[in-house]
Amino acid sequence: MTFSGAASIAGIGATEFSKESGRSELQLSAEATLSALADAGLSASDVDGLVTFTMDTSSEIALARELGMGELRFFSRINYGGGAACATVQQAAMAVATGMADVVVAYRGFNERSGQRFGQVSLGAATQVNTNGLDNAWTYPHGLSTPAATVAMQARRYMHEYGATSADFGAVAVADRKHAATNPAAFFHDKPITLEDHQNSRMIADPLRLLDCCQESDGAVAIVVTSTERARDLRAGAVPIVAAAQGSGADQFVMTSYFRDDLGIPEIGVVGRDLWRQSGLTPADIQTAVLYDHFTPYVLMQLEELGFCGRGEAKDFIADGAIELGGRLPLNTHGGQLGEAYIHGMNGIAEAVRQLRGASVNQVDGVEHVLVTAGTGVPTSGLVLGR
Amino acid sequence: MTTDEEIIARTDEIKARGKSPARVAPDPVNVPMIRHWAEAIGDTNPRWAPGPDTEAPPAMAQVWTMYGLNPERMPGDPLPDTMQVLDDAGFTSVLGTNCDQTYARTLRPGEAPSISTYLADVVGPKKTGVGEGWFITTKSVWTVGDEQVATMTFRVLKFKPGTGRPAVDRTKTLRPVVNRDTEFFWAGTAAGELRIQSCNACGELRHPPGPVCPVCHAMDRGYVVASGRGVVHSFLVHHAPAVPGKRLPLTLALVELAEGVRMVGEVDGDVAIGDAVEVWFDRIDDDLTLVKWRPAGAPAPEAEPEVESDLPVWELPITPTLVVSTALATRDFQDVHHDRDRSIGHGSKDIFINILSTTGLVQRYVTDWAGPQTQILSCALRLGAPAHPYDTLRFTGTIVSEADGVTTLDVRADVSIGTHANARLEIRR
Repeated sequence: MTFSGAASIAGIGATEFSKESGRSELQLSAEATLSALADAGLSASDVDGLVTFTMDTSSEIALARELGMGELRFFSRINYGGGAACATVQQAAMAVATGMADVVVAYRGFNERSGQRFGQVSLGAATQVNTNGLDNAWTYPHGLSTPAATVAMQARRYMHEYGATSADFGAVAVADRKHAATNPAAFFHDKPITLEDHQNSRMIADPLRLLDCCQESDGAVAIVVTSTERARDLRAGAVPIVAAAQGSGADQFVMTSYFRDDLGIPEIGVVGRDLWRQSGLTPADIQTAVLYDHFTPYVLMQLEELGFCGRGEAKDFIADGAIELGGRLPLNTHGGQLGEAYIHGMNGIAEAVRQLRGASVNQVDGVEHVLVTAGTGVPTSGLVLGR
Repeated sequence: MTTDEEIIARTDEIKARGKSPARVAPDPVNVPMIRHWAEAIGDTNPRWAPGPDTEAPPAMAQVWTMYGLNPERMPGDPLPDTMQVLDDAGFTSVLGTNCDQTYARTLRPGEAPSISTYLADVVGPKKTGVGEGWFITTKSVWTVGDEQVATMTFRVLKFKPGTGRPAVDRTKTLRPVVNRDTEFFWAGTAAGELRIQSCNACGELRHPPGPVCPVCHAMDRGYVVASGRGVVHSFLVHHAPAVPGKRLPLTLALVELAEGVRMVGEVDGDVAIGDAVEVWFDRIDDDLTLVKWRPAGAPAPEAEPEVESDLPVWELPITPTLVVSTALATRDFQDVHHDRDRSIGHGSKDIFINILSTTGLVQRYVTDWAGPQTQILSCALRLGAPAHPYDTLRFTGTIVSEADGVTTLDVRADVSIGTHANARLEIRR
């Protein structure tokens, strides 16, 4: 049995992206799911599988009830925050490829700005009675207790070892906001920034500035997965899942893998190696990518781990607009999570689908394969989508 | 909104009015109020006990002329009028900061003191720890007939709530989840030891610890006590958002210990990658001691100097009953002294002891030591950290000078978060 290309993305859907949705998280997920099913030309009764994040507050059965889906044959959840994004589609594709389900929807919906904000200190994360809580005992009581701070520790070491600067991180923010500026769905539509804006933004966790950090957003995204054969006959056609992988590094922690020899994010290297193995492709075969941008330094480090450039060379790789539309490797053409919205990476998968359909507002020419990654610093995942 | 100039102009008018007409105490000095006060303060001085020779404690001077629960303000009283000006300008919260009193003699039951007050000073706007505000100073005299029996310089801060530096309550520090695999580490910090897990089979050192040696799979483990020296491997400075129990900005480092393992911890002072640091132990409370770091060779962080006390140290547990009973016995019906919900609503963490009661407790402390016949001549009190229930007041006192039969004393009353009050008293023994 071959996994590569057996399953496809047949539909994508989303709510609007805002700072205050005014609806429940379950309603957001239901709206996005209906939107994705409509895009695919399928109905709720066609769905027999659901996948979401362990962190999601709307269970698979709750969503199934709201949409009158009836019986489910497959349901699954993926752990580790934003690292789950691409893995939800991987789970769906594996279920379809193995015949465990016919139509699986991967969804994520939250009021992450108007409700529980991930950028604040989470008492729940600090006090959970499990090994994650035990892990956090080495950081939270000291005050290392926000995602930005955990990344800042990594970023400082990266700058020290490879000579990257805050301005190099800023180039990612500038590219994201440039792309968001022309995307009407983006929260920062029509609001580009300059590198000077980035350098003038206030410190959040030195060396990270405000404009190095993704937004906090309300919204939902859903992705419909079915067999490539069936998808070809559906309304929107097929976007084949060429490769899908998860990855966890040696001595892995959640956001605080500080105890292994090299800091960094080797977990995405695990993902990358498996994506290239499954697909038979190399970085040279990728025309555009969506690299998870919760914090800008991790975009640079991902480029290196995924093999787009050598270790420490990302600052040169991204220079001179290389990651902007028209550059050598446009990244995050929807505006990314800094520019469009932070929907835990699921909106990036939708953008990859649009690029392969030729339907992005920031369309890249001649797109054959798009790489998408999930949150790093945590056990993570990735996809290569094709045509 | 009133401007600074308008505040100055309006309060200048109040100043220009000079002394207010004398206002007589609503009740004459009386034995029941003295007895309630002595019970609440816990002052067993026999001079205050009911009997033919009962005297009123000097610290009660202000009590007799307090307005009470449903006051009808006397027209022309400068303090309420000045407060109103600042209320109108948005400086709606109030904090007593100084109370300097002198006493010519004690009062006797049946005497009805009168108070006359003038506005001495309005200074502001000042940035203070609790917020932006104005200091109001009034001066009062109490008379019985034509005889001046006591004086007071009273200073309050009227401030805008929510404009201060957020107070940092270290006890809000997030607590570590601890289990049987990690408890040795936390027992170590409490004992002033930095412990690193070691494998009893192969000797591998490991942090963070766990139940199994990842190298040899032995589950027989112990620990070594680290040298406490390390090097900064990376660091960050946290500016936002707020972190419970921490003052920002907060420098956090990943320290590589001489023994080869790494740990995250707070660092005092500026650091760079590669800097040598050494450990110290910061006791947060009975349940938590944190490992912290400072540049190697830097002086130890200023430990609270042990207060030298000529007077025996007196520790008084603060209960809600103490706060409420003393507030009512001093006829202070401000909600922040008896209503916890309202007090929290005003931005406080709980109810707190009022300034009249602190004055009473300080004088009780002095006369308990100096003897019941001691005459208090003056008491200049400056208030600092609030005294909340479930904390402890720790009184210490030093003799400053003794001359012409007058002893000058400095008394300090500490609570867990700092000094609640400093007072200088003159007494005749």
